[in-house]
Amino acid sequence: MSEILLSGRGVTKKFRGLTAIDDVSFDIPHGAIYGLIGPNGAGKSTLFNLITGYHPLTSGSITFRGKVLGNMPIYRRNQLGLARAFQIAKPFPALTLAENVRVGAMFGRPGDKNVERTTQEALDVTGIAHLAQRRAGELTVGDLRKLEIARAVATRPVLLLADEPCAGLNPTETEEMVRCLRAVRDAGTTVWLVEHDMKAVTNICDRIIVIDAGKKLAEGTPHEVVNNKEVIAAYLGTPAADLPAHTP
Amino acid sequence: MNRLVILLLTAVAAVLVAVLPMLVGPYYIRVLQIFFFSAGLGVAWNILGGYAGYWSFGHTVSIGIGAFTAAWLGMIFGAGSGPWSMVLPVIAGALLSGLFALVIAYPLLRLRGTYFAIAMLGVSQVVAELVNNVSIFQGGIGVFLPSPVPSGMPVERFYYYIFAVVLSLLLLISWWVKRSRFGYALLAIREDEDTAMMLGVPTERYKMAAFVLSAVMVGLLGAIYGYSLGYFTTYSVFRLDWSLNMIVFCLIGGIGTLMGPVIGAALILFLTQVLLGGFLDLHLMITGALVVAVILIMPGGILRTRWRLPGRKPARGGAE
Repeated sequence: MSEILLSGRGVTKKFRGLTAIDDVSFDIPHGAIYGLIGPNGAGKSTLFNLITGYHPLTSGSITFRGKVLGNMPIYRRNQLGLARAFQIAKPFPALTLAENVRVGAMFGRPGDKNVERTTQEALDVTGIAHLAQRRAGELTVGDLRKLEIARAVATRPVLLLADEPCAGLNPTETEEMVRCLRAVRDAGTTVWLVEHDMKAVTNICDRIIVIDAGKKLAEGTPHEVVNNKEVIAAYLGTPAADLPAHTP
Repeated sequence: MNRLVILLLTAVAAVLVAVLPMLVGPYYIRVLQIFFFSAGLGVAWNILGGYAGYWSFGHTVSIGIGAFTAAWLGMIFGAGSGPWSMVLPVIAGALLSGLFALVIAYPLLRLRGTYFAIAMLGVSQVVAELVNNVSIFQGGIGVFLPSPVPSGMPVERFYYYIFAVVLSLLLLISWWVKRSRFGYALLAIREDEDTAMMLGVPTERYKMAAFVLSAVMVGLLGAIYGYSLGYFTTYSVFRLDWSLNMIVFCLIGGIGTLMGPVIGAALILFLTQVLLGGFLDLHLMITGALVVAVILIMPGGILRTRWRLPGRKPARGGAE
C-alpha cells in the first residue's frame, strides 16, 4: 500500500439543478480492497460512472496511474487498466461465457498474444470455467455476477471497480464472491467495490469510503467506519448497537 | 461443423455454379443471376445489421451511388467496351459509396436502434431525390453504360458468372470478418455497446469500419448491376423495396449468420420468381404472408432455429 493508483480532487457532478456528487476527493492506493458505501441515492454508482467516463465531470479532476482522465474515451480508460463490473449485470446474452470473456481478453490490452490463456484464467479465478460453453442468457443471477467480474478481469485491469457484486446473491454465493474478489486482489489487481451487504463489506475491505447525498462523509478501516457517529446517523439515525449485520 | 464436410460442400457448390448455365435455359440463368446479386446484398447488409446490430433501412443508397458513379465515369472518360472496361468504373462505384458512408457515418452512427434505421431511410430518399432532380446527375433522364459483354457470349451468362464470383468474394470477406477480432468487436457492439466500451472495444471505430465495408460491398454490386441494365434512371437503382429485401433475406435465413442471407435470398427468389411467377397479382401478398409466418415460427431465421428430432428432450438442463 504505497503508490496512489487513482485519485480524485474536488470531483463534482451536477445534473441540471441536482448536485449528485459534491466536491469528493479520494486516494486509492495500490494493492488494497477498498469499499464505497452509502445509503440509496448517495451517488455511489454516479461516482463510478464519472471515473469510468460514462458521464463528464462538472468540475474537479480524476487521475489514474499518473494520467489525468479528462475526457479520455471509455475504451481507452479500460486499456489503461481500469475495469468495471456493472451493478446490473450486462452480459452479451447471445454469446457463450467463453466468448463474453474473450471480448475482454481481446480488447483490454491490445497486442496481447495470449487471448486464450487470459480467457481461461479469468474463467478459472471466478469459478465459472465449467459453464464456459453455456450462453450468457441462460445463467442464474449468481453466475451472471461472476461473469461480470470474469469479463472485467480478462481485460487485465490494474484497478477493478465492482458495483455491488453481491447484490441479489444468497449467503453461499456471497461467500464465493468474497473469495473470488480476494483472489483477484491477490493476483495483483486493486479492487474498489460498492456494497450494501455490511457483513461482506466489513469482512473483505481494508478501508472504506462513505458518501451520503453526494458528499464524502467518512473514510477509514471497517471498524472505524462502523463506529462513526455520522455514518450511523446517515444509515439509521439510531445508536450503533442497532447497526445490523445485514441479512438478505 | 466438420471442416471436411464444409470444404466438400463448397467444392460441390462451385462446380454446380460453373456448369449450371450449360444445363438450364436463359430464363433460369437470369433468375440465378438475380439470386447471386440479391444474396450479395444480404451478405453486405448483414455485416452492419447482423454482426454489429445496426439495422439500415436505406442501404439501397449504395446501390444507386455505385451504379451512377460507374455511369458518370463511363460518360466522362468514354469507357471502351469489353469486360476489362468495367473494372475501373466498378471499383470507383464501390469506393465512392464507401466514401459517402464515411462522410455520413460520424453523425449517423451516434443514433441507435430505430433512430439509425429511420435516418438511413431518410438519407436514401434524399440522395435519390438529388440524383433525380439535380440536372448534372442526370438521374431523371437516365444514363447509359456501354455493354462490356464479349461478342458471342450470351448476356445472361456473362452477368451470371460475374455475380457468382462477386458473391463468392463477399462471402469470403464476411467469413473473414466473422472470425476475426473485428467480428468479435461487432458482436460485442450488437449485444451491448456500453459494456463493449468498458471492455476496451473502440466501438466508434469498429462501427464506422463495418458501415463503410458494408457500403463498399453494396456499391460494388450496384455498379455491376448498372452495367447489366445498360440504361437506367434514378428509380431503377434507388429502390426502396431492395432496402427492405436485404433485411428480409437476412431475417428469413438467419440474421448474423454467414450463410443466412444466401439461404433467405434463395427461398424468397424461388418463391417469387419461380413458384409464383404465374400469379403476379398475388405473389407479393403470398410473400408477405410467408415472411410473417417465418418470423413467427422461427424468430431467429432458418439457420438459428434449433432443429430437433421429434421425441428428443430439449438441450437445456433442468437446473432452474
